[in-house]
Amino acid sequence: MAAPTAPTALDRGPAPVRKPSAARGRRRRPRLAAWIFAGPAAALFALFFAYPLGASLLQSFTSEDAGTTRWVGLDQYQRMFDDPAFLESLFNTGVILAVQVPVMIGLGLALAVLLNQSWLRFRGTWRAVYFLPAVTTLVAYAVVFQVLLKTDGGLVNQILGAIGVGPVDWLNSPTWARVSLIVSLTWRWTGYNAVILLAGLQAIGKEQYEAASIDGAGTLTTYTRVILPQLRPVVLFCVITSTIGTLQLFDENYVLTRGGPDDATLTPVVYLYKVGFQQLDFGYAAAIAWVVVALIAAISALQYLAFGRERRR
Amino acid sequence: MSTRPTRRAVLATGLAATASSLLSGCAMGGVGGGGRAPEIDGKADDKGGKVSGRITVWSWDVAAKAMKRLAGDFEKRHPGTTVDVVDIGYDNAYDKITIGLRGGTGLADVLTVEGDHMPRYIGNFPGGFYDLMSLGGRYGGDFERAAWHTVTGPGGKLYALPWDIGPCALYYRTDHFRAAGVDPRSLLTWDDYVKAGIRIKKATGHKLIIQDPTDPGILPMLLQQQGQYYFEGGRVAVDTPAAVKALTLMKTLSDEGLVAYEKGWDGLVTGTKEGKAATTPTAAWWTGTLTSEMPELKGRFEVVPLPGFTADGIRTSNIGGSTLAVPAQSKNPRLAWAFIEFLLTGKNNQVSMLGREGLFPAYLPALDDPYLSERQDYFGGQRTLDVFARLARNIPPVEYDKDDAKATDIMISAVTGVMLHGRDPRRALGSAAGQLARATGRKRVA
Repeated sequence: MAAPTAPTALDRGPAPVRKPSAARGRRRRPRLAAWIFAGPAAALFALFFAYPLGASLLQSFTSEDAGTTRWVGLDQYQRMFDDPAFLESLFNTGVILAVQVPVMIGLGLALAVLLNQSWLRFRGTWRAVYFLPAVTTLVAYAVVFQVLLKTDGGLVNQILGAIGVGPVDWLNSPTWARVSLIVSLTWRWTGYNAVILLAGLQAIGKEQYEAASIDGAGTLTTYTRVILPQLRPVVLFCVITSTIGTLQLFDENYVLTRGGPDDATLTPVVYLYKVGFQQLDFGYAAAIAWVVVALIAAISALQYLAFGRERRR
Repeated sequence: MSTRPTRRAVLATGLAATASSLLSGCAMGGVGGGGRAPEIDGKADDKGGKVSGRITVWSWDVAAKAMKRLAGDFEKRHPGTTVDVVDIGYDNAYDKITIGLRGGTGLADVLTVEGDHMPRYIGNFPGGFYDLMSLGGRYGGDFERAAWHTVTGPGGKLYALPWDIGPCALYYRTDHFRAAGVDPRSLLTWDDYVKAGIRIKKATGHKLIIQDPTDPGILPMLLQQQGQYYFEGGRVAVDTPAAVKALTLMKTLSDEGLVAYEKGWDGLVTGTKEGKAATTPTAAWWTGTLTSEMPELKGRFEVVPLPGFTADGIRTSNIGGSTLAVPAQSKNPRLAWAFIEFLLTGKNNQVSMLGREGLFPAYLPALDDPYLSERQDYFGGQRTLDVFARLARNIPPVEYDKDDAKATDIMISAVTGVMLHGRDPRRALGSAAGQLARATGRKRVA
């Protein structure tokens, strides 16, 4: 809405200092100026975004053997259907999406509501504390979790041992490795989502709470009927970005478990990395990349359609 | 997990972020590896031909240390040359090399590549390296044959020169064995080994072996001992009787509770330090790790040859070891080759790298050096290097393949399935073979 009007405003804006030239020239000059401004960005976009995008799409239809490239059509895409490792990586992503994302958003919401209370002291400090995990270096955080979750002598197992529960093989058993990954992801990203949700909460005026209380609504009713519905777009934002993040998950599980044991924490992007850079199977890796992109687009669109309707009112 | 906190155009931002992070990684321009391996100008080898200029060498860890140390000697012998050794770190090394080969630019003049990685690069980037046959072919008889096998390609091409190898033996804790009353010299077969493990565990509570649950563990070693690897004649061979035998042994170790699971290299080192396992079946270079990382355990370790699958079977294998190659992008291949030749084809430099950096030479003449028969204080006065030197001559050459990385990934699943979930080895290997055949478009041996 704003974009199309901008050039005309420029056109008719401050009167040109120089003598106005022919109408054609006048129309052309702003276009040139626009290109001069947009040019570098467009060039960078073409070089680092459009070109790789197109090249990888083409590559996903090829296969390489001893340095020669062959066109194989949809073969690389077909391979995924009976590739247990890829299917396992999708399953793992599904588990994280179904378990970790709702738990994290729920926790984030509770935290945001808590941080928004007027009786809470040192609110700024609390917010910073909860946001901190999101700014730690990935590797540092993964290493800390590795130390915490070590089977022998790890802090978590020491505490468990003190209450007579005993040692859990956190990172070396497939099930517990999944649990470890989910816990570490939740630790890292809950505060981040809480801060975004908090911003949403603060956009809601005091009068809403007052109106609800005049209408006789208790605290719980106020939140479930009045506040949360208004927070919907913000929650949607958190859900979609978290879903995208989950589908792109790489660093955490790569450092923590390398996708193992037994592929229990393998994600499509870790698999893509292995296929491309370790197995040197570039065509297949490109195909996996495109399937991940398609999945992200599809899931985001679904979520948008399912929960975003309210915004269109 | 979240990407960008822009509120507008959530979808677009998310997609852009995904696409750029995922796709740019997988779309690297031209194919740098196609075509045929170029040859270095033959005149370079004439003793009169003088080399000059500058080269960059990529390596890591002790290997980089060794080259930095000897580069000075080389420069002195060849005035007007500069050898720049860069320690690129093991964690990024192969990503860097792969990207350089794929993109056709950006590589150093000399690359360190581990022996079992070499066939993968030769297979995928046959034009990515100089063919050294006309210059280095005459050294063929001087190098350990399994290592030589890994650097030669189809059509009699020589893609690298072997540097060090990793002949395997069984390191054992003398105290644990003594406490259980087990004579390590009596471990002739893997069956003896399992029986000894059960006794040691009963007597001392210690397990027998440490294994990484994200790794195929001792499987490659057990396969090579039987003269095979993942492919045979280009066909998938992961479900051969030899493979079933190997994985069944690993299952037995696991079923008897003799395996301590520790992730990664650090897990192996700390686990060994803490005395979790009574034995470590591994390569000669492990001596360096023991002496430098756990000096306090001096006198607790000795080595014997690996147990065999039969009492008169092969008692060793190879793990690791590396090679030096000259990528086709090198601007000064003559100097690159001169440096490699200086470093690897002389007894003195090889022995000094064994003594100082623990790099066990693939260059056989070096194994006759008196240094190898010296007693090692750390190993209770045992002539440890001599054990490895004798074993090194019996390493069975096996067929490494460009698809080994794929095979390894699939085999990790088979191994963990059997060891952690108690699956049947024969069936696990059968399905692994099927998967590998599909993924590589190859036939199966069995």
